[in-house]
Amino acid sequence: MDTADLGALLLADARLPTGAHAHSAGLEPALVAGLRADRVPAYIDSRLRTVALVEASAAALTLRLVRSDPSASLRVQDELLARMPTAPSRRASQLLGRGLHRLAVRLWGDHPAVRGMAGLDGPPLRPIALGVVAAALGMREEQVARASLYDDVQTITAAALKLLPVDPTDATAWLLASAPALEAGVAAALLVDDDPTHLPAHTAPLVEQHALDHHTRTRRIFVA
Amino acid sequence: MPDTSQRPLRLGVAGPVGTGKSTLIATLCRELSAQYEMAVVTNDIYTDEDARLLRSAGVLPVERITAVETGACPHTAIRDDVTANLLAVEDLEQAFDPLDLVVIESGGDNLTATFSPALVDAQLFVLDVAGGGDVARKGGPGVERADLLIINKTDLAPHVGVDVEQMVTDGSAARGGLPVLALSQSSPEAVARLREWVVALIESHRAGEHTPQDPGPMAPHFHADATEPHSHAEPHGHPHP
Repeated sequence: MDTADLGALLLADARLPTGAHAHSAGLEPALVAGLRADRVPAYIDSRLRTVALVEASAAALTLRLVRSDPSASLRVQDELLARMPTAPSRRASQLLGRGLHRLAVRLWGDHPAVRGMAGLDGPPLRPIALGVVAAALGMREEQVARASLYDDVQTITAAALKLLPVDPTDATAWLLASAPALEAGVAAALLVDDDPTHLPAHTAPLVEQHALDHHTRTRRIFVA
Repeated sequence: MPDTSQRPLRLGVAGPVGTGKSTLIATLCRELSAQYEMAVVTNDIYTDEDARLLRSAGVLPVERITAVETGACPHTAIRDDVTANLLAVEDLEQAFDPLDLVVIESGGDNLTATFSPALVDAQLFVLDVAGGGDVARKGGPGVERADLLIINKTDLAPHVGVDVEQMVTDGSAARGGLPVLALSQSSPEAVARLREWVVALIESHRAGEHTPQDPGPMAPHFHADATEPHSHAEPHGHPHP
């Protein structure tokens, strides 16, 4: 049965039970650090060109490689860890990855790529688990890359509704306004070659700094 | 349903904010941690306030108390998407294997928030007399169908003009025979009754005799062809669209 299109919807759906509602993609600490509401679209754009692009590329590459080598997720995970320098960022990504992994084990426990994750050193990062789930759902690379980028943007917009005096319609407009950067990210993610060491390595030092600051706060609403 | 009697009992503690959930959990730790291996997961709206309270109470080693962030949705984290809580519970179960009891405290939420049976095996619902004597009568899924309803802070009753006996009677009437416990932290007798109830539950869970019940969010309702109201938590003979 072809579940590629359904899978793309599923991965973009906040109702998928993976614990994602407790994340803000760095928006909460960014606001604490002084980001203003009118700059949230710029924050979204910055992520789409840096960390979100790296993650989408890793998800697409994981999907491509696990089709022929079910344990390839290990190599992509190593490369992605190297591109995610701070412990709080890794932890947040791993919590989401574990949510997806738990789902994958329950729904597609016998799928070679799902079994292949058993060899990982620690919990899968979100993009790795996303690529594996996409493989189990028979999705295309383009679909998982877009789902990954879309999820990043909507994590920010949904958190903004909790954290800022924002009209939900405006938050939806932010998503739509991000389309050029988002689609450019999809195209860039598809261009990665089969060698995980060649994954893009765009970083966003402020995002990492915010993650470190957030981690030590006692009053926070979102994981990261 | 999978056999869960081999793993620790997972006990949820729900109820509105300020009714004494954290203090009650500290009491459970004090009363039970000599006899049982325990761990606690807290769900705060502002992350780790409750976890810090419990850690500073010194009732359990601090590493056995984990705070889960709920993204300002404490209701979601115990009902619609329990993933974050399940991961925290599993981490504790793995780190401190073998545990006997994991207590999960909900973020103080409204009267409709109850735990999913996917997360807990049983749940307490905590009200307090200072929240108003009429809350037990107003009902709601937790008040009506949690495994145990606690009417807390009974020592405050004279100061807030609430008739504890009436509140217990109202609660019992709403619960159709399910237990209600009037509790004051300063009453050794009441604390002993709470202790007994939890010990009996742990033993029944271990013996494989405990079946988790879902308080559910839905109110009991009638159908045109029935004479008695029922809740979806009870077995019944018709499908729902």
